Amino acid sequence: MTLFLISIFGAIGCVVRYLAEYAVRRHHPTNRPWATVAANAVGCGVAGFVAYHFLGSADAHVRDVVITGFCGGLTTFSSAFAIPAILQREHHWGYSLTLVLTTPLTCAGLFVLGMSLAH
Amino acid sequence: MPNLSLSPKQLALAVSATAAGGFVGTLLRAWLTGLEHLANPNGPVTWPREIPWVLLAINFVGVFVATRLLRGPLRHRDPNNLTRILVITGFLGGLTSYSGLFVDVAAIWHVCVGGALVVTFGAILSGVAAAWLGLLRHHR
Repeated sequence: MTLFLISIFGAIGCVVRYLAEYAVRRHHPTNRPWATVAANAVGCGVAGFVAYHFLGSADAHVRDVVITGFCGGLTTFSSAFAIPAILQREHHWGYSLTLVLTTPLTCAGLFVLGMSLAH
Repeated sequence: MPNLSLSPKQLALAVSATAAGGFVGTLLRAWLTGLEHLANPNGPVTWPREIPWVLLAINFVGVFVATRLLRGPLRHRDPNNLTRILVITGFLGGLTSYSGLFVDVAAIWHVCVGGALVVTFGAILSGVAAAWLGLLRHHR
């Protein structure tokens, strides 16, 4: 049952990320994945908050559903590296390198911020 | 750039494709990482024992496949193409996880700060390597 709920919330996370990407592309046509970077950062922030909030809690189900499910679906490792690789092949070297370096930094920053807020 | 606006029906289809791919991808990740926890019962807490090998492998494969597809069969597909949404945004997006990586790194941080940094940089380097390998076949 928990695995099913995790998957449902993972699907919801993916849909939120897609809608964010769609909204950005629709209003600012671009092949640069700003919304993906933002989704990764926000997902890590939420994961940091929930991970700290449920630290040592016996209720692991809520933690798993939110972190493994929703946050796992909202964030994406594949696009975070595949899209910069494609941009690099299209000679956007600087932009590609910026994405690869800033995504983990913003994710780490938001994760720590999330934990601090839960503290 | 192609016209990126969708009709309500097209948007509903895109959302459904994302949800379907995301459901399967998340299910597979949750199942595989759950197996790792079962195979790694409680014992002495050392940072090498806490390394999330399964998630690292999933992320590596996800980056490789996404890069191959975006450079190959899905190269000329616009971002609202249903196949691209189903596979890249949904399935591979649900399969791979950035947040899960940081949750695991935070657990290692409590045991060994150096180990957490090693895992973080290793994960980033593995992502770069997977993308590079994904580009290789289609290079020239």
